[in-house]
Amino acid sequence: MTDRRNGTSERTNGLGIMLGIVGRIQRRSALIWVFALGATMLGTAAAVAALYDTPAKIHTYAEAVTSGNALVAINGKVEGIDSLGGVIQDEFGFMAAFLLPLLGIALVARSTRREEESGRLELLLGGRIARHEPALAALIVATATIAATGMMFAIGLAVSGVPLARSMLYALSLAGLAFVFAGLAALLAQLTRHARDVYAWSLILLAASVVLRGVGDVTETWLTWLSPLGWAEKAAPFGDQRWWTLAIPLAVGVTLSGAALRLAARRDLGSALVRGGAGPEHASAWLRSPIGLAIWIHRPATLGWFAGGALLTGAMGALTQQALDAMVGNSAFAEAMGITHGRPLDGFVAAVQLYLAVIATGYVVQAIGTLRAEEADGRLETRLSGTLSRTRWLASHSLVVLAGLIVIVLGCSLVLGLATAISVGDMAEFGPTLSAGLAYLPAELVLAGLALAVYGLRPRMFPIAWAGYAAVTFIAFLGPGLKFPQWVLDLSPTTHAGNPPEGAIQFGALTITAAVALALIVMGFAAFRRRGVPQS
Amino acid sequence: MIDTQPVIRTEGLTKVFGKVRALDGLDLTVRPGEVHGFLGPNGSGKSTTIRVILGLMKATSGRAELFGGDPWRDAPRLHRRLAYVAGDVALWPALTGGQCLDILGATQGGVDERRRADLVERFELDPTKRVRDYSKGNRQKVALIAALAADADLLVLDEPTSGLDPLMEQAFQQCVRERRDDGVTVLLSSHMMGEVEALADRVSIIRRGRTVTSGTLADLRSRTRSVVHAVTAQKPDGLADADGVADYKQDGPHGQVDSRFTIDPDHLDSVIGRLHAAEIRTLTVTPPSLDSLFLRNYGPTPDPDEAARDESHTETAR
Repeated sequence: MTDRRNGTSERTNGLGIMLGIVGRIQRRSALIWVFALGATMLGTAAAVAALYDTPAKIHTYAEAVTSGNALVAINGKVEGIDSLGGVIQDEFGFMAAFLLPLLGIALVARSTRREEESGRLELLLGGRIARHEPALAALIVATATIAATGMMFAIGLAVSGVPLARSMLYALSLAGLAFVFAGLAALLAQLTRHARDVYAWSLILLAASVVLRGVGDVTETWLTWLSPLGWAEKAAPFGDQRWWTLAIPLAVGVTLSGAALRLAARRDLGSALVRGGAGPEHASAWLRSPIGLAIWIHRPATLGWFAGGALLTGAMGALTQQALDAMVGNSAFAEAMGITHGRPLDGFVAAVQLYLAVIATGYVVQAIGTLRAEEADGRLETRLSGTLSRTRWLASHSLVVLAGLIVIVLGCSLVLGLATAISVGDMAEFGPTLSAGLAYLPAELVLAGLALAVYGLRPRMFPIAWAGYAAVTFIAFLGPGLKFPQWVLDLSPTTHAGNPPEGAIQFGALTITAAVALALIVMGFAAFRRRGVPQS
Repeated sequence: MIDTQPVIRTEGLTKVFGKVRALDGLDLTVRPGEVHGFLGPNGSGKSTTIRVILGLMKATSGRAELFGGDPWRDAPRLHRRLAYVAGDVALWPALTGGQCLDILGATQGGVDERRRADLVERFELDPTKRVRDYSKGNRQKVALIAALAADADLLVLDEPTSGLDPLMEQAFQQCVRERRDDGVTVLLSSHMMGEVEALADRVSIIRRGRTVTSGTLADLRSRTRSVVHAVTAQKPDGLADADGVADYKQDGPHGQVDSRFTIDPDHLDSVIGRLHAAEIRTLTVTPPSLDSLFLRNYGPTPDPDEAARDESHTETAR
């Protein structure tokens, strides 16, 4: 009897210790997530409340976005859009669809498979910790963070004047979305060998969810119900308020988590469902060259961002005609898309190109962040102990990232041009679509330059580059729709492209943007030559 | 003509990271053709010194020369003549060991493919396995093979055998000897005395970023005390006060006299004479090991028992 009691108390103790460890590891990133997401929601809500301050204005907005399928495909089908909350849900929809799943994935992947991969988990399991407890602790901490985020959402919405019950339901539906993906990541962390694969598979499933929700909403079929994004949407916080739908993400999340815990308790440490096999004994001549190795390092991420961009531009392009139909005689819809004057078709393409610019910018910042990982993991030190100079190493990586950027921008613009042409039955827009994509290159390179400069000067400060990216994303996605003041818009280099093809490409501004980018890049190279390696 | 220019030379090297003084006036000279043991406890500045020598970091003050050149300004050219194994071997997890060998070889001055194949066999490495599936020891082997197969004049090895099993360590020592016989200079950083003692011609011991002592092993030994344990029939005469004797301890069970002490090399002969006069039953004289050198430079003087224990420990470890 006594033994058994001791056993139980030790086990509880193990979970307590594990919670302490995970909590300590995650403390900073969890706080950043909660406040960044909370602030984004509060900012969106406040801006919407200020802009749509009369029922008449809200009604015009609602009319506009529901009159075509393009926006429904992107932002989701918002029930009860004819209300302040509805407008907020619509404006926040696109960002929520990837930020909240990412919240769940990042929180769990970081404290499960990554810890196992690094060997730190082995150290803990050698102690009093039971095999399933690390995963359980990770899920508990993730759930608490998600709950805190939900609370921030509810408060932010209520403060902006949305009824409390509806605010709560909306916040809970978004928290449920994050929870499902946390459970999914926990399960994937048991099945795959590397944290990287957890991210890759989760994001693939997220992309599938986006497509299912989009197609379901546009065709108004049951397909929406297959997507976790659809479950959040069907809660209809500003429409019929279906509280019972919250049970779906809860049940699915708990089931996925339960499966993850069962697997964690039973499987061997370090094991995975998917195992790598043998490979070639020799590296090809191509892989031996600095450029070749850089291509090999950046290829997976490049393909991932390309796929994401192509998916978005292809889907948007295919809905062009519908969007145009909606705009006929409805200037409010155009306004909601950030199109204020000029030809509707140009305006539509311009809006999509801005989204693409945000994707392409994310790619360059992430790709340059990879260099930091090469250095922190110790590979750069070995690399530079041979005949390869620092400048050549950094130049080959920069060239490969630049080439990847051009491939993504041109490739996705091509997809957009083709999809648009097929949708409207006219090839005339093909050229301007391509050149609009290219016009954003200097702006994208400014962020690449910022990332390189931070990497060259103080790699530890790399989050500055991500903060810059977050600001660009926020301004690009919400700035035009929410009518930010011009000086705020001007902070983002994407603004200076001149919103092509709706606006004329601003060659003067582009030259200045390019010069800024070049200066930052040169600064990054110069600083990198002067500093010690490795610096983590 | 013999090339007498040092392969590596540092003078008064300092390196400051923020408030931490990692190197504090470090002097190191590595001559052509020698295996130079670079000893120091963890955190004493071995890896930082190596990074400065390789031009990966810039010294705060002092001079560092590699093949007579400035490594900070001329790293890629100077690196053509050397191969380096980092303390923490990091490779690309998704590549195979063989691919990593080729990539590492590509930026070295040149690779002897036959020697590489031979080394792969001797170290029993499976080059078709992915790096992520290797154990720590196997990852270490990849880096070692790449360095040992390189057509280099200098090998810089930073704690190269951490993670290797004793058998592989033997293989490693054999390979280093072969490379030295080919005329290659080796800088071997380590905190494993046995390894350095087995391989090094000369040794530099550092502590807190400063060179404490350096010289040939024989040199260092002659400056250090041997440990003596003698059992004699009678009490040796005036041993406790004899010149050069320290740490004297004596007890006399079963009608014999058991004496333990340390002695400096110059007075060994006269002390043995005194022991002889007291009728020696058993006598062990343990020459100073690198361990005791090391401990002498780092801690309080070890008492004879401890020194003797450390000695045996080194012996088994070897």
